[in-house]
Amino acid sequence: MFRFLPEQASNHAAKVDWLNNLITDISVACIVAICGAMLYFAFRYRKQGNSDQETPHIEGSNFLEIVWTAFPTLVCVYVAYYGVVYFADMREVPNEELEVMAEGQKWKWDFKYSNGKKTTGELVVPVGKPIKVLMTSTDVLHSFFIPAMRVKADVIPERYTYVYFEPLKTGDYHIFCTEYCGTEHSGMRARLKVVSEAEFNRWLEDDSDLLRLSRLKPADIGAELYVKSGCNACHSLDGSRLVGPSFLKLYNSAREFADGSKIDKADENYIKESVINPNAKVVKGFSPNLMPSFDGQLNADQIGAIIEFIKTLDGSSKAIVSGGTTSSNVDRAKLSPKERGELLYKEKICISCHSLDGSKVIGPSFKGLWERSGKLVGGGSYKADADYIKRSILEPQAEVVEGYPPAMPSYQGQLSDDEIGDIIEFIKSVK
Amino acid sequence: MDKQDMNEGQSVFNLSYLKQPKGLWSWLVTLDHKRIALLYLSALIVFFFLGGVFALLMRLELAHVGKQMIDPDTYNILFTLHGVIMIFLFIVPGIPAVLGNFCLPLMLGAKDVAFPRLNLFSYYIYVAGAIMAIIGLSNPADTGWTFYAPYSVRTSTGVIMMTAAAFVLGFSSILTGLNFIVTIHRMRAPGLTWFRLPVFVWGIYATSVIQVLATPVVGMSLVLLIVERMFGLGIFDPKLGGDPVLFQHLFWFYSHPVVYIMVLPAFGIVGEVIPVFSRKPLFGYKMVVFSSVGIAAIGFFVWAHHMFVAGISDPSAKIFSIVTFAVAVPTAIKVFNWVSTMYRGSISLTTPMLYAMAFVFLFLIAGTTGVYLATLAVDVFYHDTYFVVAHFHYTIQGGAVIGLIMGLHYWFPKISGKHYNTIVANIAWALIMIGFNLTFLPQFVLGMEGMPRRYYDYPAEFQNLHTISTVGAFINGVGYMMALINLFVTFVWGKRFAEANPYEAIGLEWRAPSPPPTENFDQQPIVNHGPYDYGRVALH
Repeated sequence: MFRFLPEQASNHAAKVDWLNNLITDISVACIVAICGAMLYFAFRYRKQGNSDQETPHIEGSNFLEIVWTAFPTLVCVYVAYYGVVYFADMREVPNEELEVMAEGQKWKWDFKYSNGKKTTGELVVPVGKPIKVLMTSTDVLHSFFIPAMRVKADVIPERYTYVYFEPLKTGDYHIFCTEYCGTEHSGMRARLKVVSEAEFNRWLEDDSDLLRLSRLKPADIGAELYVKSGCNACHSLDGSRLVGPSFLKLYNSAREFADGSKIDKADENYIKESVINPNAKVVKGFSPNLMPSFDGQLNADQIGAIIEFIKTLDGSSKAIVSGGTTSSNVDRAKLSPKERGELLYKEKICISCHSLDGSKVIGPSFKGLWERSGKLVGGGSYKADADYIKRSILEPQAEVVEGYPPAMPSYQGQLSDDEIGDIIEFIKSVK
Repeated sequence: MDKQDMNEGQSVFNLSYLKQPKGLWSWLVTLDHKRIALLYLSALIVFFFLGGVFALLMRLELAHVGKQMIDPDTYNILFTLHGVIMIFLFIVPGIPAVLGNFCLPLMLGAKDVAFPRLNLFSYYIYVAGAIMAIIGLSNPADTGWTFYAPYSVRTSTGVIMMTAAAFVLGFSSILTGLNFIVTIHRMRAPGLTWFRLPVFVWGIYATSVIQVLATPVVGMSLVLLIVERMFGLGIFDPKLGGDPVLFQHLFWFYSHPVVYIMVLPAFGIVGEVIPVFSRKPLFGYKMVVFSSVGIAAIGFFVWAHHMFVAGISDPSAKIFSIVTFAVAVPTAIKVFNWVSTMYRGSISLTTPMLYAMAFVFLFLIAGTTGVYLATLAVDVFYHDTYFVVAHFHYTIQGGAVIGLIMGLHYWFPKISGKHYNTIVANIAWALIMIGFNLTFLPQFVLGMEGMPRRYYDYPAEFQNLHTISTVGAFINGVGYMMALINLFVTFVWGKRFAEANPYEAIGLEWRAPSPPPTENFDQQPIVNHGPYDYGRVALH
């Protein structure tokens, strides 16, 4: 009866739940017995008629006092003992643990692995290994709670605290913030993904995102940040007026501000100031206090990339931002399928993982790919015909070439059949 | 009641503290402990209503997943105001200021408390604090009633006014406690030895000691918080070299004992009601008294059980867990003694008796769920979940608020000189019991499933229990309204005059007329028996 704890997914869970259920059973038994006695007395010894019946003068009983002092004392000692012992087990981290750094910040959880890999809102760990999450906060108190693992600890600025657990089964679990931290406290959640050790190692070594970024031009990274950091919500690229000024032809333009001051040229320093301290110079006609400061959220490289991106918006060509890079708006109808494919190869950033010169990046090179055959991960083989390439674009994880990580995202819904045909034509041409 | 009794009741009534002296001014500057009790009561009911409305707004927002009608910032303000008002303005003054003030001198056979002017002064300090809190509503804080640093140091909301109000209210509490301690030591009637004191007086005594010793600490910590906010001294904010865990230590050093300020007097009321309506002496009187004193004493050394996962050292977590278990034992002893008192009694299920039995049931749940939270490894899971929310509402609402309502019904004939409508009172009791359990039992389950507290929104799997809880909260609210309106209507318009001792109780307060005159007794009462010598002392 009264078993509501979540599934037992860590080494602590069985012990905690045993103790919890023991308390439940004793409590329910006591409540039923005591309330039962009370109700029985109330009925059995109810006042009959209008006058009181004679009652005995009982002042107490030393024997009973001893019994009901000793009984709860013994129960308390027993329960307290196991509470302390199991708590000690939660705090004693075995030596061969996997350590993950966690940082709580209003209102997100960032995780960092020993090889430098970072995630936000998602903690990926291998099943069956002791995990130590070493935590700190950048602002106020938070608390890190994984119900399925039965662990929790407050996360404190300028200090480290930790939780330790050993996941027993793979799965996807809630991570909550349980120390009140302001507006979005209830939204400060993350996911714990427990995966097999092999899958974890593949995931951990998969640095495709980092590599991809390292191969992009700063302006292209800036274009991605423009979407990822949400600049696009308030700043247009086509000169139209949104909440903030458009980025079109912003660089080196003359600006007039709400306080009457002016600058002749919106240079790099002006743009940087506007990102870090948006209220320092508010363009005339726009409202102050709407833009949040991106200080601490964007590093110097990223701000530089955004500046480079803004520089490209000189009006000479129409900017297209889709999932990442931009390219000039050429009249595609006039191009051959192969040329359109080449454009897509750059726009859809196939370029960052698939080389054209035969070098091995993250995915197989496109050079000589057409009609090549080889082995797949997990057995089986492939022959790179049009069907295979199309399947690889739409369901990249289904048939992964041996020796490569399953890193590619699906382009389902992002590329039309015609566009996939164009890409295939382009691949055919890379010999 | 025949006509002659009626006329007699009427004449007693006209000589009572309620009628003499006359005029609003005489009430505002009164030194009479009974009038001061009613002044407190009227203010407390306003704040109980306000805090209740805030709670219902929260429950409405939580009834369904996603946004219903208010945004997260407003929700955060609502739970802060609900906590601050219910704790500092309603239930901490609660039973001591109203029933303690009214009954203590009567139960001691005294004319008034030891320092009547100080008593009035305490009331006006309370009023000053209450006015500050109301001013604070214009820019309410969003920190939760716990004011945890460094959030409270940095938030842009009005923390200073709220904490300053709590600071001022603390002085009212300290002075009332001091007044009661001296009163109990010095103003007992001849023959009223320590072990002839009713357990309610013992409860008030233990509470007063806590008020005097613990309240200054929360006052200090709130002042330090204000100074931190105004001047950035670096006491609690780690960015300035301070320690946020220190704030929690200081805060809970008061705020844990304060729950005993709330419930010890309620324990006392149960100890009054059950013997009277069972016509039996309180079983194990001395053990009940010792357990109150024991709870008050041990209660000072358990505060860090609010902080098991807050970053305190592992050894201190273990020690505080073990000490916390030591509080469970005296609480259990009380419950056993109350129920045993009913054995072979002659039991009348009056409204106060129904509340007393409800109290035993609710406090059993409160106490046993406290065991989960004292158990170190288990508390790691439950800390800051809905389990904690449900647990402390069972202790504070199921304990202190039910205790206050029980006491108001029990002493109502003495306070008003009239009899309330029993049927309405019992229906209200039933609604409160149904509503309360429907509100908070599902919250235990939510906590067991891992639902964190102070959440504006939640994953969809928690929704059904939240909806049930919201329905329960409204039933609960209707119950309280009905109970209080019943008493209020009787108080103002009621016609059935009460005799001096309607329950044929032994306590000294029942020797005074109902309602008592300003000086309480016609002649100095003399005591020659224990407080609950039913079945042995001839009353007539």
